[in-house]
Formats: sequence, C-alpha cells, structure tokens
Amino acid sequence: MRVFALLAVISVSLWGASVWAAEPENEKPVVNPPPTAKDWADLAKLPDWSGVWNPKITDQDRQAKTNVPPWNPKAAALVAHQLAEEKAGRPPPLFVNCLPEAMPAWMLVTHNAMEILFTPGRVTLLGESDGNRLRRIYTDGRPHPDDPDPTFHGHSIGHWEGEALLVDTVGVVPQAYIAISEAAGVPNNGDMRIKERIYLASKDVLHVDLEITAPKVLTAPWKTTRIYFRQRARKFDIVEGVCLEGYFKEGTDKDGNAIYVPVKHDVGGNRAPPE
Amino acid sequence: MKRYLYLSAFIGVIAAFPASAHHSTTMFDHAKSVTIMGTVKEVHWTNPHVAIYIYGTSGEVKEPTLWLMEMTSPGNLVRAGGWSRTAVKPGDKVTVDFSPLRDGKRGGALKKITIAETGKLYTADIRAQERANLEEQPAK
Repeated sequence: MRVFALLAVISVSLWGASVWAAEPENEKPVVNPPPTAKDWADLAKLPDWSGVWNPKITDQDRQAKTNVPPWNPKAAALVAHQLAEEKAGRPPPLFVNCLPEAMPAWMLVTHNAMEILFTPGRVTLLGESDGNRLRRIYTDGRPHPDDPDPTFHGHSIGHWEGEALLVDTVGVVPQAYIAISEAAGVPNNGDMRIKERIYLASKDVLHVDLEITAPKVLTAPWKTTRIYFRQRARKFDIVEGVCLEGYFKEGTDKDGNAIYVPVKHDVGGNRAPPE
Repeated sequence: MKRYLYLSAFIGVIAAFPASAHHSTTMFDHAKSVTIMGTVKEVHWTNPHVAIYIYGTSGEVKEPTLWLMEMTSPGNLVRAGGWSRTAVKPGDKVTVDFSPLRDGKRGGALKKITIAETGKLYTADIRAQERANLEEQPAK
C-alpha cells in the first residue's frame, strides 16, 4: 500500500513539473483588457447590422451553375459525380452528421438565418438551426496565432474599412467543405484562407464578398458574393436550434417522466418513413 | 495530427447513424404532386427539420395508412409559411399536397397543408422568404 502511495506522489510531482516547465518563465500571459466606456460608446458608430438575416437561397442555386469554383481536376471530377447523383435523386449527404457546416460552407450554402452581435473588440455571428454554428471575429487588432488550432470556423480577425468589415480567416479544419450546394462540395484539405468583405448593400440587404484560397483543391482564388435579407419582426427572432434534436421525439418513460425517444433516420438524412 | 485522428474517428461514429441535418431534397420527386386526406397523428416541431405524421388515404390507396411529411426548420417555416408550433396539431383533419419519395415509400416533402375545420392553409417553400421585412407583405 505504501509503495502505491509513493508511486502516486511521484506521478503527481512529475506531472506538476512538466506542466510548470511548459509555461515559459518570466513571460506574462496576454490579457484581454476590460472594455472601457469609450469602447462601448464606439460601437454606436458602427453600421446597424441588428435584426435577423436570412440567406437568398435562389442566388446560391444560381451561382452553383453560373459561378463554379476553379476546381482542380480531381475536385472537379468529385463535384461532377455529386451533381449527377443529386440529379438522379440520390443527393450526397454532405451535411447530415450534425457537425457544423463550418467555414466557408456556412456562408456559401446555408438555408438558415443568422444574427450578428457587436461587442468591444469582437464581432460574433450566431446561426439558427445549429446550436454549434458560431463565428468569433476578433477586431481588437490581434494577429492570427502562429499555429492556430484547427477549428470548424477557423481563426478570424477583422477590421473596419468605412462601413465594411474585412475579415481574414485561417486555421479551418481540412475536412470543412467548400460547398456549392448542400449536395456538392469538396473538403478544402488544408492551407485554406478566406477573405471576406461584409457590408450593407442597401438598407436591409447584407452582402458577404468572399475570396477563398485553397491550393489543395482550387487552381486559383474563387470569388463569390452571398446575400442576406434583414427581418425585424419579433416573431422572426432567431430560435434555438439543436441539430441533434431531430434524432428524437417527445415521449414518456414508465414512471411518467418526460423523455426523448430516438427516431430512425434513413441515409439521406430524413426520418425513416413508416414501414 | 492526433487531433485529426480523433476527429476522423468521431465522424465515422456519427456517419454510422445519420442524423437529419442539412441536405438536398432530390430524394423527393418535385415534378409530382400527391394528395392525402387524413388525421394528424404526430407533429415533430424540431430542428433542423419539422415532420408531421398523418394517418390517411391517397389516390387509389383507399385503406388508411401512416404517412410521413418532411419540412424545413421551425425558423424557416415561421418566416416562409406563417407557421407556428401549434399551427398543425395532432387530431386535426387535413388535406396535404406533397412531393413523394422517389423510392415509393410512404413519405414526402410537404408542399401545402389545409386544415379542414378552419380552411387555413400553410406552405413550406423555404425560398418564399427572400425579401427583407417579410411582415410588411405577408406571404400569400
């Protein structure tokens, strides 16, 4: 017993020493300063992007045919196959696993609304229908990390140029699709960079200009603009969206407790029809 | 690298049990329209897709049977079709027009549902919300 206790003490000590060694000595951590009254007041000078923004899906449909990304031959072959499958009634299930649509697919092919929040040093995009659809765009002047941890939405930094927000995004997981529809797209495969210019094209229409560089699948940067409409009616406010909710239906257990009961789904992503 | 391995393993697990997230709808034959009349059995007002189960008859199928109607998300239905969580309720007598599944199974993409008692109808075209300030010119 004593031997085990001794081993435990040694293990904990070694772990502590390794953690301690990982912290560079004498290097102060970067601290995000508390916002000042001026920081909050300055937000009022930004353009009004409040409300709910729903995408122009018919324009997504149109661009899938008229603004094709400059795919490399391998990617082009995959997309051609996907489009043929979709036309044949077997749409490839790119986004049926409830992982985030991720960047840039969220901006490119979403069918769901979003809202945009301004706080000092940051712009935040929150999407409807997926609780995990969230972008943080840092506007506090920080650079990208040297080696950002790959994430679904990447590491985004932005700055204002007049009324437009210019955003630069790197560090997106290589699995994230560059999608032209919900049924056609290619994983970016790494080293992708996304530049965006977000601005009001008119009073209640938001444009997102994107330039996507993805050397593993595109032969040149691809440019596209996506369009969103503003809604202000309270009944159109963003609602909670939990993608996995569709897995279940409401039920009751043997003790009368309210529970969720799994629902069968088919491969295409719909609930399985009755037998 | 290890992170990617974990992620790949996670994706593999999920893929074995597909969920109902965002997908194209060409598994439905949008060139066709089928009508059923019957009674609503269940309403699943859930993200990312709403579903309604209806017990009813259709065309030559005179024996009442259960049908599944798939739709877009609750948020989109509110904006595009004037729906609410209680717009359609279990027990409602309804008539439904829908695009049927190509594989012949008893399911479809709902196009229009009319409630017999009130005559009220709801549509489910996700592309019917493509203008700003929808409340100023409600959907027809």
